[in-house]
Amino acid sequence: MGALDGLKILDLSQILAGPYCTMVLGDLGAEVIKLEKLNGGDDTRQMGPFVNGESTSFFQINRNKKSITVNLKTDEGKEVFYRLAKEVDVIVENYRPGVAASLKIGYEDIKKINPGIIYCSISGYGQTGPYSHKGGFDLVAQGMSSLMSITGEKGGRPLKSGVAVYDIGAGITAAYAILAAYVHKLKTGNGQHVDLSLAEIGLPWFAWEAAAYFANGTIPTATGHRHRALAPYQAFRTKSSYFMLGCGNQRNWEKFCIEVIDRPGWIRDPRFIDNKMRIENIEILEKEIESILIEHDTKYWTERCEKAGVPAGPINNFDEAMNDPHYLARDMVQEVDHPVIGKMKMIGIPTKLSETPGEIRSASPVLGQHTLEVLRSLGYTEEEINQLEGNKVISKANVNETL
Amino acid sequence: MLPLEGMRVLDMTQIMAGPYCTMVLGDLGADVMKIERIPGGDDTRRMGPFVENESVSFMMINRNKKSLTLNLKTEKGKQIFYELAKKADVIVENYKPGVVKSLGIDYETIEAMNPGIIYCSVSGYGQTGPYSHKGGFDIMAQGMTGLMSMTGEPGGRPVKAGIAMNDISAGVTALYSILAAYVHKMKTGVGQYIDVSLVESGLAWSVWESAAYFGAGEVPTATGSRHRMNAPYQAYKTKDGYVLVGGANQRNWEKFCKGVVEKPEWIDDPRFLTTVERVKNVEELEQCIEEIFIHETTAYWVNKLDQAEVPGGPINTYDQTLNDPHILARGMVQEFEHPRAGKMKTLGIPAKLSKTPGQIRMAAPMLGQHAEKILSEDLGYTPEEIQQLRENGVI
Repeated sequence: MGALDGLKILDLSQILAGPYCTMVLGDLGAEVIKLEKLNGGDDTRQMGPFVNGESTSFFQINRNKKSITVNLKTDEGKEVFYRLAKEVDVIVENYRPGVAASLKIGYEDIKKINPGIIYCSISGYGQTGPYSHKGGFDLVAQGMSSLMSITGEKGGRPLKSGVAVYDIGAGITAAYAILAAYVHKLKTGNGQHVDLSLAEIGLPWFAWEAAAYFANGTIPTATGHRHRALAPYQAFRTKSSYFMLGCGNQRNWEKFCIEVIDRPGWIRDPRFIDNKMRIENIEILEKEIESILIEHDTKYWTERCEKAGVPAGPINNFDEAMNDPHYLARDMVQEVDHPVIGKMKMIGIPTKLSETPGEIRSASPVLGQHTLEVLRSLGYTEEEINQLEGNKVISKANVNETL
Repeated sequence: MLPLEGMRVLDMTQIMAGPYCTMVLGDLGADVMKIERIPGGDDTRRMGPFVENESVSFMMINRNKKSLTLNLKTEKGKQIFYELAKKADVIVENYKPGVVKSLGIDYETIEAMNPGIIYCSVSGYGQTGPYSHKGGFDIMAQGMTGLMSMTGEPGGRPVKAGIAMNDISAGVTALYSILAAYVHKMKTGVGQYIDVSLVESGLAWSVWESAAYFGAGEVPTATGSRHRMNAPYQAYKTKDGYVLVGGANQRNWEKFCKGVVEKPEWIDDPRFLTTVERVKNVEELEQCIEEIFIHETTAYWVNKLDQAEVPGGPINTYDQTLNDPHILARGMVQEFEHPRAGKMKTLGIPAKLSKTPGQIRMAAPMLGQHAEKILSEDLGYTPEEIQQLRENGVI
C-alpha cells in the first residue's frame, strides 16, 4: 500500500521540474496519467542517451506513470481532457503563463467542471509580477537568484551547481505544496490554484546568506570548495585525489592536529588558535595542511580521520557513488525492466517510510502506452477510439517506433 | 485558513535540514513546538550575525515556531516530552542514529503511547547501512553524492554548491514524506516511521547524470556553467560581465541565431545542426558566441534575448536578487517584528496557494519563549508546578 493510494494526478508537464514532482507523488502511491502531445511527446524523449531508440533520460524520471497522447488543439482532444480533468484530484502543468488559459485548460476553466481540483502551475517566474511572461529555465534561475555568483572559485568564472538544483527544487516544492493543498481538500472538499516558479523556490534556501544580508548588508561571494564560516571545513588535495574534511568545532580541530596529522603544536599556534583566526589565515592553513596530506592517498587520510572521530569523507565521482556499499545497502540503485529498453538501472527512493514505503511499480511508459486503457476507463467505445485516432486526436503506442 | 491547521509537530531538530522542514510546515499552518536543550538550545542560536543578542541566522529559519526548553536527561523532562508526544501528529529529530533510543524517546517508545505518530528521523547517512553510525554534514554529502565532482571548471578543483544544498534536499524530502504519511494517517489513522538521510536525498537530485551513467556508462564531470546535454545553455562573457542563455530546444536555438546574434547561417551549419551536434562542438560554439557577445554589455544582451523570446538573464549578486522588482512583486522579501530584535526582513514563501496561502504568523522564538504557555495551556500544569520545574532545571 502506498501513502498516496487513491490520489489521481493528470500530468501535463514535461522536461524536469513537473515530471520530478509527479514521479515523487507516483513513488508514494499516486496514480499519474501523463498527457503528452502527439508529435514526439515530452521533449525529454528526444534527449539521449538512447537504448533501443528510447531515451534513458526520460526513463529516469517518468517511472510509475501512464502515458496518453492527446492533441489538445482539437475540440475532441479537449473533450478527452475535460473528461479526465473531472476524474482527478490534481493537475500539474508547466506551460509559459497564459498558454493554458488560451488552450482553455487553465485553472479557471477546470474549476468550473471540478471545483475540488488542485491545479499546480510551475513556471520560470510565476503567474504574476513583471517577468511572468518570460520563459525561464534552471540555469537562468541559478543566475537570477544569485546562486551562481556564490558558486565557484573566488574571482573566477561563475559556475552552476553540478545538477539541475532549481528544476528539482521546483518539483519538490510543487510536491509538498500539492500535498498540503490535498490535506486541505480532504478536510473541506475545496481545491485551489498553486503557483510556483523556478526563480523563487531556491531563495528560502539561502538562510545563512539572508541572515548576513538582512542584518548587516553583507553580500556573499563564491568560496570555491571552502565553507563560508568554518575552517578547516573544505576539500583538500591528497596524493591520490581530494577529500572532504569537516572540523566544524574546536574539538574536531584539536583531534585532527593530534591524531590525524600529528601536529599538536598547531593547537597553540596563534594563527590557528580558534575558528576566527583559522578563517583569517585560511590560505596559509590550507597550504600547510596540504603539504602534509599530499604524502598519502585519500583512503589513508579518510581512515585516520574516521579512527580519530573527525568528520571526513571522499569526493566521489558519480561512478564511485553508484558503487558505494552504503548506497547499495540502502537500495539507492534499482533495476527496472522497460518494455523497449530492457533491464536498466535507476536511482532509488530517498525516503524510507515504514508503513507505506515508496515503490517503483512500473518503468517509464513508451509514448501513448496507456492511451487505450485510459480512454476505455473514461467510457469511450472502440469505435470512438478508432475515430479519434483517425482524426489525429490521439495516438496509440507503437513500441517499434524509432525516435 | 491555512492548509495544515490542526497538525501538531514536535521539532527536536537543529541547524538546517530539520528546521527548514518544520519551518515550511509552520508556514503552511502546522503548530510547531521546538524542543530545545538546556542550556543554549539550537546550535544556530550561537551563529552570527546578532541583533540585540538574538541570532539572525536562527531567525531566518525558525519563524512560525514556539520554543520550549526541556532537559530530556531528567525523568520529569522525559515525562513532559511523553505528554507532548501523545498529543502530537508528527515528531522530527536529527540526532545521530542511536541517540534517541538511549534517551528513551525513539519511535518504538512513542508509538507504544501514540500509534498514530509520524516519526521522522533526518540523519547524515540514514538509520541502516554501513555508514549509519557516522556523523554527516552537508559538505560530506556534497562529496559523497558526486555533486562536488560535477561542480567546477572542467579539470579544476572540485567546488561545492554555493549553499548547503544537501541539507536543503534532506529537509524538503522529509517535508513531502511527512505530508504523504499525514495523508495516509488522515485516511487510516495509522502513523509510521520515516528515515531520511542527506546522502540519499542529495543523490536523488542527479537525474540527467544518472541517465548518462546508467544509459551510456558516462561518468559526469564538472562542466563549469554548461549544461550536460544541451547547448547553448550556459554563461557567456560579455563586455562587462556574463549573460545566461537557455537555448534548450531547436526553436529557441533558431530564434537565438536570427534574433539575438543575427547569424541565421548557423542554423544550417553542420557543426550546430542539432542539440547533439551543438553539445559535441560546445567549445567551438562558445567561442563563436563570445566573439559576438564581448562587444556589448550584459544589459544589452538580456534585452535582446527578451525581445527574441529566448530564455536568458543576468547572473545577479545577492543584493541585486533581493532588490529585483520581480522578486519584490512576488512577496519574496517580507518584514516581521521580533520581540527583541525589532523589525527584521526575511525571505518569503515560494509556493503560492490561492485559497490557503502560507503565512509568516510570528517571528522565530526566543529560547524557551513559550514554555509556560505550552505547559499550562496544552498540558494543564499549574503556575506552581511550572515554577518548580524551572527551579529543578527541567525547563
